[in-house]
Amino acid sequence: MSDRPVLHLRDRAAKALKDEQMRQAVRKAVDRLSGNKDKAARELPNWEEWREQTRLIREHTVDHLDYYLALLTQNIRKAGGKVHFASTAGEARQLIAKLCQQYEAKHIVKSKSMVTEEIHLNSALEAAGMEVVESDLAEYILQLAGETPSHIIVPAIHKNRYQIAELFSRVNGEKVEPDTPALTRFARKVLRDKFMNADVGITGCNFAVAETGSITLVTNEGNARLSTALPKVVITVMGMERIVPTFEDLETVLSMLPRSATGQKVTSYVSVINGPRQPGDIDGCEQFHLVIVDNGRSRILADEEYRAALHCIRCGACFNVCPVYRQIGGHAYGSVYGGPIGSVITPLLENDMVFWGELPYASTLCAACTFACPAKIPLQELLFNLRQKRVSAGHTDAVEKFAFGMWKRFFKLPSTYKFAMKAASLGQKPLVKNGYITAALPILANWTNSRYLPAAADKTFRDRWKKREK
Amino acid sequence: MTDIQEDLSQENMFLQTVANALGRKTVLAELPERQEAGPPAFWREQKFEEDQPLALFKSNLEALTGRVAIVRNGAEATNQIKLWLKVLNAKSAILWDHAKLREYIDSTRLGVKTAFWNRDTSRRELIELAEQADVGITWVNYAIGYTGTVALFNGENSGRSVSLLPPTHIAVMNRSDIVPTMSTVMRILLERRGQGALPSAIDFITGPSRTSDIEMDLSIGVHGPFRMWAVVIDD
Ligand code: SF4
Repeated sequence: MSDRPVLHLRDRAAKALKDEQMRQAVRKAVDRLSGNKDKAARELPNWEEWREQTRLIREHTVDHLDYYLALLTQNIRKAGGKVHFASTAGEARQLIAKLCQQYEAKHIVKSKSMVTEEIHLNSALEAAGMEVVESDLAEYILQLAGETPSHIIVPAIHKNRYQIAELFSRVNGEKVEPDTPALTRFARKVLRDKFMNADVGITGCNFAVAETGSITLVTNEGNARLSTALPKVVITVMGMERIVPTFEDLETVLSMLPRSATGQKVTSYVSVINGPRQPGDIDGCEQFHLVIVDNGRSRILADEEYRAALHCIRCGACFNVCPVYRQIGGHAYGSVYGGPIGSVITPLLENDMVFWGELPYASTLCAACTFACPAKIPLQELLFNLRQKRVSAGHTDAVEKFAFGMWKRFFKLPSTYKFAMKAASLGQKPLVKNGYITAALPILANWTNSRYLPAAADKTFRDRWKKREK
Repeated sequence: MTDIQEDLSQENMFLQTVANALGRKTVLAELPERQEAGPPAFWREQKFEEDQPLALFKSNLEALTGRVAIVRNGAEATNQIKLWLKVLNAKSAILWDHAKLREYIDSTRLGVKTAFWNRDTSRRELIELAEQADVGITWVNYAIGYTGTVALFNGENSGRSVSLLPPTHIAVMNRSDIVPTMSTVMRILLERRGQGALPSAIDFITGPSRTSDIEMDLSIGVHGPFRMWAVVIDD
């Protein structure tokens, strides 16, 4: 999956902690996003019922993934599309490169997709002599800078407008002013040209619908629409778990994804693509290919302890409430998938409990992620189990110290503390008895040597920790 | 170069791996039972007042910088669009060659150069026309009150480029096609068309193209239209 970074987690984090500009930008982003999310959650009637419905849909799908994958495949073919399967990142890269060569593609446009980053698709296509342009504004900025995303929803948040203006000014040699409308206008112009001349459009997939053979793409910018409307060939790449069974299930996941990600009720565009264009249609693609990628997912599927990690809808809400993410930003995770969910799935996808096994320590186990997750994935439990797995395999080292350092930072900073506790207090009610969080959170019990952890609303909690640190 | 074919043995192996991971010997062949599907029960069962979908649609789209004009007939709709085109200083418009749109909107009275999305013109030319047009005008299949969304079905005379490439998109609809929620549209679609016969693209559009990718600053019109306005015909 990821190219393995040279530095270990604690050194990557130490480096990140020195980058004040990035950290400030990340703090601003997560505060805004999680604030918006809280508002959106209050506006939608019965938030907890929606969460439970999301969990049920995702659990049912993942537990019957063989059936729904076969059904999806059948229906995509009925609609005139072709379906390919790739067990590894290498297979996926090779297959997609061959498909592009078959169509003699020279210019390719891509809309934002995590799985194509996971399999390092761009470099493979470039090596085959093709131009690949990222069309999501943030991804385009990162591509010009040669950098990786620092946040799953706002990937270029660590770059300010002056740095972006400098990057854009280099594209055509004409100076671009460092204000947002001018930068956006410039990107629109350059990328519109790319769309008009692209041979192939490559997209990810937010949700595939098994019963109809549909691919659903969610954007605010409209780049996924352009990538699928104009090029003659469209290749959609999806991680094998990104399915919902029925068309109506879409309303639930599409209600939760944007609300949890940015606080929007719905994104500007939700496109439901049903294969290539039909007889009579004028725009849309002639050839539609779906590439379904395993790359370690079946290993997670087989392990019931971690299967729930596949319920993720990639909303980023767990990043936005994580006190460690808030401190170190996305790059320090070193993986395509950062934040709490990235710390769970990276060691599992990579099947590496030593190097990548450090990631579960990038957490204070405060449980804010679990309460924020719209699919109710018990993230903090999974993080704890992974630590345990690493320890029982005999790998204990300085990473423990890193975790403790993060945890100390977390409890020292009143603003960070309040912030995470606010997030946590949203969902913790069922676990609270007489103002104390009970043993339903096993990992917390461990951290506190099986003492009770006072509930988030209890002010004395922080004082207690303070005392303990002395 | 030979065509890349779908690889059936790879497919079988892949699905077999997934089945095994789930503890099954072979790939599950029967539709599994479910306790819950679609949106939560309370949401499916909620009742809406007759005026609610339109009122919601209007306030939700307006909150996203959209404009919503409610008119009584085709002549008024034509006048409304003509006025907007003038305000925008538009010189050209591209329209879906949709029967309903033709029925209500008199394109000869719009005061701008008009082109129609149909097979009289080639794909390349149509896309270029849409790219150069100041305004794209479409007919809405269904609108969704709860989110202020329009749903457009792709078809022979209803290309997706029209709602996507011009800087302004004007969507015209019958009031009776505004439904409360997204799953209502999904249900109607499946009932009317049956499975597997969906349009090649269904676009749910809510407001203008937007981004907050630069310093979390909201900016509109990054790839798609800067403006998404709606005319509702209540006749
Ligand atoms: S784990 Fe949950 S909160 Fe985190 S990205 Fe996935 S769905 Fe969102």
